[in-house]
Amino acid sequence: MFDFLIHGFDVALSPLNLGLAFLGALLGTLFGALPGIGPINGIAILMPLAYTLGLPAESALILLAAIYTGAEYGGRMSSILLNVPGDAGAVMTTLDGHPLAKKGLAGPALGLSAVSSFVGATIAIIGLTLFAPLLAEVAVMFGPAEFFALMVFAFASMSVMMGKDPVKTAIGAVLGVLIGTVGVDSSTGVLRYTFGLPELYDGIDFVVMIIGLFAISEILLMLEHANRKDGNEGLPPLGRVFVSLKEVMACKWTMGRSGLIGFIIGILPGTGASVAGAVSYTTEKRLSDKNNTFGTGDMRGLAAPEAANNASAAGSFVPMLTLGIPGSGTTAVLLGALMLYNITPGPMMFSERPEVAGGLIASLYIGNLVLLALNLPLAGVFARVLTIPRWVLVPGIAILAFVGVYQLHSNLAAIYLMLIIGVFGYLLRKLGFSLAPVILGYVLGGLMEQNLRRALSISGGDLGILWQSGISLGLWIAAVALLVLPWLLPKLWQARTSKA
Amino acid sequence: MKLAADRLLGIVLIGLAAFVAVQAMQLEVPFSYDPVGPRAFPLGLAILLAALASVLIVKPGTNEAWPGRQLGVKLLLVLATLLVYALLFTKLGFIITSLLAVTSLARMFGAPWGKALLTGGLMAVVSYYLFAHALGISLPSGYWIEPLL
Repeated sequence: MFDFLIHGFDVALSPLNLGLAFLGALLGTLFGALPGIGPINGIAILMPLAYTLGLPAESALILLAAIYTGAEYGGRMSSILLNVPGDAGAVMTTLDGHPLAKKGLAGPALGLSAVSSFVGATIAIIGLTLFAPLLAEVAVMFGPAEFFALMVFAFASMSVMMGKDPVKTAIGAVLGVLIGTVGVDSSTGVLRYTFGLPELYDGIDFVVMIIGLFAISEILLMLEHANRKDGNEGLPPLGRVFVSLKEVMACKWTMGRSGLIGFIIGILPGTGASVAGAVSYTTEKRLSDKNNTFGTGDMRGLAAPEAANNASAAGSFVPMLTLGIPGSGTTAVLLGALMLYNITPGPMMFSERPEVAGGLIASLYIGNLVLLALNLPLAGVFARVLTIPRWVLVPGIAILAFVGVYQLHSNLAAIYLMLIIGVFGYLLRKLGFSLAPVILGYVLGGLMEQNLRRALSISGGDLGILWQSGISLGLWIAAVALLVLPWLLPKLWQARTSKA
Repeated sequence: MKLAADRLLGIVLIGLAAFVAVQAMQLEVPFSYDPVGPRAFPLGLAILLAALASVLIVKPGTNEAWPGRQLGVKLLLVLATLLVYALLFTKLGFIITSLLAVTSLARMFGAPWGKALLTGGLMAVVSYYLFAHALGISLPSGYWIEPLL
């Protein structure tokens, strides 16, 4: 049963892939630590460069996954040291992380967060190893109708769980799906929404899309903080560099519980690191905050979200690898990256491309060890990244974005398109949208349409096929329940309490 | 009704949905064995989008603060810089345009002239060697420089 893993370690331990895991971990941590650049931005900016290296699919995926997990590590730096979360997933880390830094315990706080990230990620990777092949075996039975229902469920779950405003999340996803329909329709050859522009015939390129949406809009957004000198005011002193074993042991159950919570939440489509961090923090607060020390620099309050958000990062690989449904915005980007290699992740990947599935999982084990080894002694060095002023950072992102897009086809049309998408992304963010649903919609939309049309051509146009099997019916019911319950439950609750 | 940004957005989105639907209807579909065809999916999306946008009009959500005039001007300046960077990218070549773009971006993000120029020069040259030589990406060297080489 674990043949794929043994095979995977063979792949991941090759000198090239080992080097890439190391490079990715390092770059990811650095990019994650940069102010304003979370995991998704880091991957968006670095992905085109990964392509220019001409790597085989499994190596590229290993590099990108290492960047992803590395960026989750790096994101905690600004949370702890500056009280500025690098991305949504790191918000809970600020609650106890920053008070610890103010007490002069910044060094141990960074060390503890590295250890809890490691523990959380390890729990989740073990979960991934055990759980993914099982899920893949179930998913092999999925036909197009089941996949269509699964995607409906994924979008429903995302609308409810991701972002503050379900309506806007849903709109963002629809917009993403619409952007994905641009270009030639693969089954009829009809051109859709290309407006006679040959540059659009192949659709809107994935790299152009993510760089525009994330990197360019981030540049525009950073302008608002251009005059805020958050990094330059000086970092708090790190204090002693290592966290003591006693401090780690005091948090062992917190880490274990939070790792499990994070893993489970990571599996659900649409619920990423931010939900995992919040749920684990509130759970720990309820379970172990006996003296009301949470929020004032309690080590456990730091360990909980850190273990959970790294666990959810690994957990989100479960649906991506087995069902081809990404669990988070970042895995959506990774999924898109795989599709550029003509690999559609799904249940068959464990049997047909074991070097990709197994290699990735094995490299997560290795990358996680590398990250711990890098982050414990080098926290001080990484922390210095925070002091890079925005006037160096922004032009750097601009150059990376331009080169990344230009090298695709050596033409300028892609660069103009990237700028347009960047403005679009900026407007969406200003209007209170989160961008993860847009990218999920963009990546999943094409697959959704394909599966819908495949299902209906099997049935000869009879819509009934979409909910004929038990699996698809169950998924439809679950999707409807997800959409209706959050709205219905409070009302029922109210009705009952008002009666009593 | 208060005119919230979300209401305006809702109206724009309904317009977009109508546009998407009209465009989809105008697609000329050749005969195929595919009972759904390329129209249905975008049409369905348009309906869904219009429905969601109506919800937004009835119940607008919250927005981030919009930039004031000063910030707006800066925003346009940054965009203009990026656009000019793109326009001149192949004409003047990577090194010169990057030098110009990096220097002006650095200025806009608050660097003093000296540091901005230094950043521009260093970044342009270092990234050119990194990308063109170490990674083998072909970057435009510029029409003007070719006769000189």
